[in-house]
Amino acid sequence: MEKRLIKKDALAGIAKKMAGDLLVWAPVKKEDNVLFAPLGAGDEPFLAYLNTKNAPKNVFFPHTETLMKFTRTPKGMEFSSEVNKADQSVLFGVRPCDAHSFVLLDKLFDQEKYKDGYYIDKRKNTTVISLACVKPPYTSCFCTSVDGEPVSADGADILLTDIGGDYLVEFVTEKGEKLAQYFGETKADAAADAKKAEAAAKVKEAIASKIPAHEIKPILDVNFDNPFWNTIHGKCLACGTCTYLCPTCHCFDISDEVKGSDGVRLRSWDSCMFPLFTKETSGHNPRSSQKERWRQRAMHKFKYYVDMFDAIACVGCGRCVMSCPVNIDIRKIVADISKL
Amino acid sequence: MENIETKLREEAKRLLLEKKADVIIGYEKGTLPLTATPCFITKPEEADKLVWNNLCTQNLAKFVHDLITQHKNSQKRVKPEDRKKKVVGVVARGCTTRSLIIHLQERQYGREDICILGVPCDGYVDGKGLKGKIGGADIIDGVIEGGQIKMKTSDGDKTVALKEVLADCCVTCRFNNPIISDVLIGSPAPPMNPEAEYDDVTAFESKPIEERWAYFIKEMEKCMRCNACRQACPSCYCPICFVEQSQPQWVGIGEDATDTQVFQLMRLYHMVGRCVDCGSCVSVCPMGVDLRKFLKKIDKDCFEFFGNRAGSGMEDMPPLGKFDEHHDKGDFVYNP
Repeated sequence: MEKRLIKKDALAGIAKKMAGDLLVWAPVKKEDNVLFAPLGAGDEPFLAYLNTKNAPKNVFFPHTETLMKFTRTPKGMEFSSEVNKADQSVLFGVRPCDAHSFVLLDKLFDQEKYKDGYYIDKRKNTTVISLACVKPPYTSCFCTSVDGEPVSADGADILLTDIGGDYLVEFVTEKGEKLAQYFGETKADAAADAKKAEAAAKVKEAIASKIPAHEIKPILDVNFDNPFWNTIHGKCLACGTCTYLCPTCHCFDISDEVKGSDGVRLRSWDSCMFPLFTKETSGHNPRSSQKERWRQRAMHKFKYYVDMFDAIACVGCGRCVMSCPVNIDIRKIVADISKL
Repeated sequence: MENIETKLREEAKRLLLEKKADVIIGYEKGTLPLTATPCFITKPEEADKLVWNNLCTQNLAKFVHDLITQHKNSQKRVKPEDRKKKVVGVVARGCTTRSLIIHLQERQYGREDICILGVPCDGYVDGKGLKGKIGGADIIDGVIEGGQIKMKTSDGDKTVALKEVLADCCVTCRFNNPIISDVLIGSPAPPMNPEAEYDDVTAFESKPIEERWAYFIKEMEKCMRCNACRQACPSCYCPICFVEQSQPQWVGIGEDATDTQVFQLMRLYHMVGRCVDCGSCVSVCPMGVDLRKFLKKIDKDCFEFFGNRAGSGMEDMPPLGKFDEHHDKGDFVYNP
């Protein structure tokens, strides 16, 4: 596919121009947080970010979305679907770890047997523009341990790589090529490729935090009842910070909200850390304490997802590590499991 | 602080050896630079893990309540004569002891169920504030020395004065030394600046109502309903929070702005006479919602109308916990 070069200082302007024509999600600084949010007309993205506080998953899998609407009429119930309503949009400035999360989420929401129209619709209509990491954003980044790379086009339609004075623009998919008009006319040469390869090798080397993510799969297979699971949950607050900020956590709840004769069926994020997550109507809760909930989180990421989709459900972004209020560090948990 | 840390470890070890406590809840070094994290010490030899410094953030009273409740539940089906006793030890600064007092006043457990290792406190670092001070850079390494935080960051070496990044609640803290304790470690810390306690609230109160409401709306828009504030709060110990009740359902589960506002408003009103301004909810909030502004307003009203400061003494009962049938017969009670 085609490659071009753009000047470094032209990038914000390109996003701004796109935002005039399309719905553009980009990193935006809101008080102390950098968040993925829709760019207003005339707004520029905040490009001096390491990574965003929230994962971009909410573009495809929003915190709350309407699945359908219903109305009670004298003739019975009337239903209307809310699927296939996504706008053409661009997700701008996604780090490769987060773009990798889309590949993982696709495996679940867009599989052969089950297709989630709501997710697929938004995914299909969104062009992902990744911004490669040419230096590790955080010391807690560990993408290279979970099949990721700081410079990677995985999950992206367009990949931008900082190669000094310019960004190398690579159109990875046809969807990406449709936006080529925004990226000038300068064709990239072989020297740019060489610079990119050099930067990629260097930054890969610089990711210092490593976890034995693949090695623990056989250990998890046989250690469901290991006393180790008693040791990690004590200080867990049972809040949903880790799961809500995680790019790959995708569990949800469905509820109906009714007012008068009108109602909506909502899908909202849920979290395996919440006691209510597995509570049954009878009052029984099969995951009765935070121990079982923590085991589930670790197992789901490093065993069940591997069993089902042959991929680890963690991209190594480090959000849960940095934002856990009580410093429960998934890197340490994985390392400890590897020693069982 | 070194000296306090050594004494703390010795005392914790002694309490465990003498079986005066079955577990000690304290802080240990975290896995990220410049962090400390709650820990549970059950073996005397583990007591050396304990730390006490300006990075110890969470109010540990929350865990005291959790552990005692879990233990009580585990003993429910045991014959009374066979029931085991469990004493929970806790490293407690001023605000933590205030929360313990609230638990005791609200009869959550008995004084004999806990053993308080009181420690003096000169404030903790507001992690989000520190990040802001260094322009959001990643902290690679850091130490606190002589009132300075020296850091290696992704943006080069940086030094910040400790007092510039102390949490808001610490700067104007009125009770930075333990109010009750079984073992008092070190000498009392010098006072902070309680005279300025309500300055922020007073300034906020003087704004027009529209502006105050707009501020509330703006702050609540940040909330993503992860419940970290509620979970970290020692006073939020309801077995089932009203947010999670389904019959009736008080609050919707989604991101609807009014649902979020109602959740936070209700939580705020449940804090009347029960918020000790420990700042735990503020420090755990991943989105940086300014909860303290509203909590402090309620605290101020509670003091001005009822003369009560939450958990400031065993005898100073919370206003909602001391209805006096002979004197509190205001008309509003019977004819609202």
